[in-house]
Amino acid sequence: MATKAPPPPGRGTRTPTKAATPAKRQTPNPGAADGMVPAVAAGSLSIREERLAHDGKRRRSPKSIEVNPLRKGLRLERVPDPHVMVLFGATGDLSHRKVFPALAQLWRTNLLPQDWQLVAIGRRAYDDKAFREGVRDSLKVNSRVPLEPAVERQFLDRITYHRGDFDADPMYDELAERLDAIDASHATAGNRLFYLATQPSAFTEIVAQLGRTGLDHEHHGGGWRRIVIEKPFGRDLDSARRLNREVGKVFREAQVYRIDHYLGKETVRNLLVFRFANGIFEPLWNRRYVDHVQITMAESLGVEERGSFYEETGAVRDVVQNHLLQLLTLVAMEPPATFDAEALRDEKVKVLRAVDRLDRMRVAADVVRGQYGPGWIEGTRAAGYRAEDEVDAQSETETFVAMKLNIDDWRWSGVPFYLRTGKRLPKRATEIAIQFRDVPHRLFEGAQSNPEPNLLAIRIQPDEGIVLRFGSKVPGLGLDIRTVNMDFTYGSAFSADAPEAYETLILDAMLGDASLFTRADEVEAAWAAVDPILDAWLDEPAPEFPNYDAGTWGPPAADRLMERAGRRWRRI
Amino acid sequence: MAEGTSGPGGDGAGAMLDGLVSDEERRLGEPMLRWSSRTHSIAGVQAELERIWSSISLTTPAADGDGTADGTPGASGAERRVAARSSVMNLVIVAGRGETGERAAAVVHGLTGRHPSRTIIVTPADPDGPSWLDAQVQAHCVLPSKDSPETCAELIYLTAGGESGQHLAGLVAPLLVHDLPVTVWWPGEPRLESRPVRELLDMADRLIVDGAGWSGDGLERLAQLARMAGEHGLEIADFAMLRQSRWREAIASSFDLPRLMPFLGHITALTVHYSARDGTPRATDVVKPIYHLAWLASRLGMVVAEPMTAGSEPWGGYRGVLRSGRRRVEVELHPLESPQAGGTTLEVAIDARRGSERLAVRVTGHADGITVETLLDGRPMPDRQYLVPRRREADLLAETIEDAGAHPITIEALEMAAALVGRPVPGRHIGARAAA
Repeated sequence: MATKAPPPPGRGTRTPTKAATPAKRQTPNPGAADGMVPAVAAGSLSIREERLAHDGKRRRSPKSIEVNPLRKGLRLERVPDPHVMVLFGATGDLSHRKVFPALAQLWRTNLLPQDWQLVAIGRRAYDDKAFREGVRDSLKVNSRVPLEPAVERQFLDRITYHRGDFDADPMYDELAERLDAIDASHATAGNRLFYLATQPSAFTEIVAQLGRTGLDHEHHGGGWRRIVIEKPFGRDLDSARRLNREVGKVFREAQVYRIDHYLGKETVRNLLVFRFANGIFEPLWNRRYVDHVQITMAESLGVEERGSFYEETGAVRDVVQNHLLQLLTLVAMEPPATFDAEALRDEKVKVLRAVDRLDRMRVAADVVRGQYGPGWIEGTRAAGYRAEDEVDAQSETETFVAMKLNIDDWRWSGVPFYLRTGKRLPKRATEIAIQFRDVPHRLFEGAQSNPEPNLLAIRIQPDEGIVLRFGSKVPGLGLDIRTVNMDFTYGSAFSADAPEAYETLILDAMLGDASLFTRADEVEAAWAAVDPILDAWLDEPAPEFPNYDAGTWGPPAADRLMERAGRRWRRI
Repeated sequence: MAEGTSGPGGDGAGAMLDGLVSDEERRLGEPMLRWSSRTHSIAGVQAELERIWSSISLTTPAADGDGTADGTPGASGAERRVAARSSVMNLVIVAGRGETGERAAAVVHGLTGRHPSRTIIVTPADPDGPSWLDAQVQAHCVLPSKDSPETCAELIYLTAGGESGQHLAGLVAPLLVHDLPVTVWWPGEPRLESRPVRELLDMADRLIVDGAGWSGDGLERLAQLARMAGEHGLEIADFAMLRQSRWREAIASSFDLPRLMPFLGHITALTVHYSARDGTPRATDVVKPIYHLAWLASRLGMVVAEPMTAGSEPWGGYRGVLRSGRRRVEVELHPLESPQAGGTTLEVAIDARRGSERLAVRVTGHADGITVETLLDGRPMPDRQYLVPRRREADLLAETIEDAGAHPITIEALEMAAALVGRPVPGRHIGARAAA
């Protein structure tokens, strides 16, 4: 954190609640407000301490507002409270590709409250008009449904730009003033959603600054404060713990929403419905009937323009620790007692804690890493990883990983979970396959084809759907058995336009529903599951990289991992 | 059937034989007629349905050629991805006239890939003549993507003359897919009180109507509909009410503001302005405007003090009185001369007084959507615009199908509407005044 400037006079009196002085509420120019406020010596206490001492009722969540009876039966039975969203990293790629389009779509479909404002924070020099133009341009490219001109104008009018460095005290002081002013002019009632779409290196500083200025503070009878933090959340168990500790110094866990956008995807959410709203699968969902589980997340793309990021990250940190382990928890978790955020996340954490820790021997035997060399994908030549921009010519970063994990609990003991992910694989596909055990007694030994064991595959992308494979007699005099697929495609059963994951998640954060966000202990448990792999690799030389061609399904060792147990990867 | 012809609802794509239709010009994502045949008995229809599936699945190639579709050890030979007969429900369409059936069939075709159903379109004809039956059996299929199996849905046109046309339930019952819910869609003017209709509705789970096109003021039929819901335990969906969902959101949004929500308990007047081309009393279908009042009244727990009655003068509209607690709420349907279709809602006005504060909410429809204007003690608050995408019958039908399960809000609004027009559903308390 940079050395802080001494606090400007009067800063300690900022009160972003209904208790604010009238003079304060009418502040026309946030930057010039300090002089208008009765000066109170800040002394040696920080603004935060002073404010907390002042009202003495910290950490009480505001009471929920009465329910609007006209909302019953409508698309949203509760709309988000009026609030100001504060977007850090607003000029960045993530904001323009994902966050603004999601917000615009929510606005377009009337799912945001009328009194909603967005303060966009970035380092670059913009005024409101120029920044809105930039958002307008990116919406043209990234919006999944074009905005009608009047709607676009209303949406953009709600965005203001706030320039500043994330480590500069005055930026936050001015921000606090500005938020007070917005509360006064737009009835946003002190409700604030901070959204950190910045580089991870800025998270700690921003959180600390929000704490210093008391912007995290939920007042009795005042507004709520929530913070959304993008992934990656740490780069190993230690750093995740440190980050959790820093965030926890300022925000209560209930105020923190760690995004893994995978959890906002329709099919991932539907996994819970599929498992727990259908009575026929749950009795089979255990070691007695399941032979093994395969979870695949394949990408045909390379690292594109993220070479330097990927060099530091690799497939385990980029995909396994978050996306793949999230899918694993949803497949393996016990039914929660209720469908609330805490019950759901308790069960997920239990699964992660039951994942057996891999020692070095097990890492060597059960984890395969790979890096792509040049090859051909979809008829196009693809360069090898080491030839990508911003990538070391001798890089040992893994672009592929396959592993076998065991879950040591009553339900799954002895059922291996095979996970694999990689870049430059033949196609983009994410899928979970539950391979059931063979029938206990082969009644049709003499048949022309033996029935294959049943398989249930849940396709997450593309072409979301569910396939159940079973054996069927081929019509005729003989007893020929064929395997057939019963294939359910979401697109063929539901016409509804599925929302983007970011729309779902941002709306949930606004509504205060944390079910689809990752809790601190969940993040740490996920890191604890993959940390032994990263540690072991630090000491072990990487295999001879590159060890698979772009456009193939990874190194041969990944196939051997399955073949050892008489299994094969599903061909996707 | 003669080559190159197509029956009612057929799109004429490909050369038609008796049965399978060639698929040389198939386009991804578009429903195509893949089967068409004709018969003259219910048993014949059943036989044709069986023929469809044996033929269509045989013409669908395996997705992976001769290879296996997955890598499970030991998998061998071709794994067929059979053409899928997908059905999410039985849809029975009662068409008073042939052209109504064709229009409904066109709507259903649009849903083949989205909500494939077994659809039976029944048209009674020539009630005084001898009994006869003409049935056309079709299959419409969609290929969602190159590698996916086809999704097909069956469409059966039944035209029944004479006495057999008067026994709709007997015609339809043998053709229903087991275990799937039965939805009856009755475009136009449903004859809800006749015995054949009651028999048909006895085996239905849901009835879909469109109150926007009824003759007269539509209120008698509206009251019948509310009674049907109670007596048959039917789920009712009225496109007229469904089209108003964005209006309801717009109205509700005004009261999301914590400051304005308390006014909901202090409403003094509700007025709906609707378009009319003719000011003659009872000449315009007012089902749509009355749904606005009924929804608001039922959601806010109001009771009917004085049922609405039509004024005797031209352009007099309808007036009545509701009670909200001990407060009197004046309600009015007010016609305005307008080029729009008769009965179209032009504005919903809500007035409330809480202590010394007065609130006026005006929700106005215009070409692009809805505008909500709010005045608090005469001071305007920021307006808000709502887009109202124009929804076709196919969208409304899809929405109805997706919104599975009885919708208590719809039923309550329907019962309130019946109570509002002075025909409360016997034994139901919605809208009725509590006994003294």
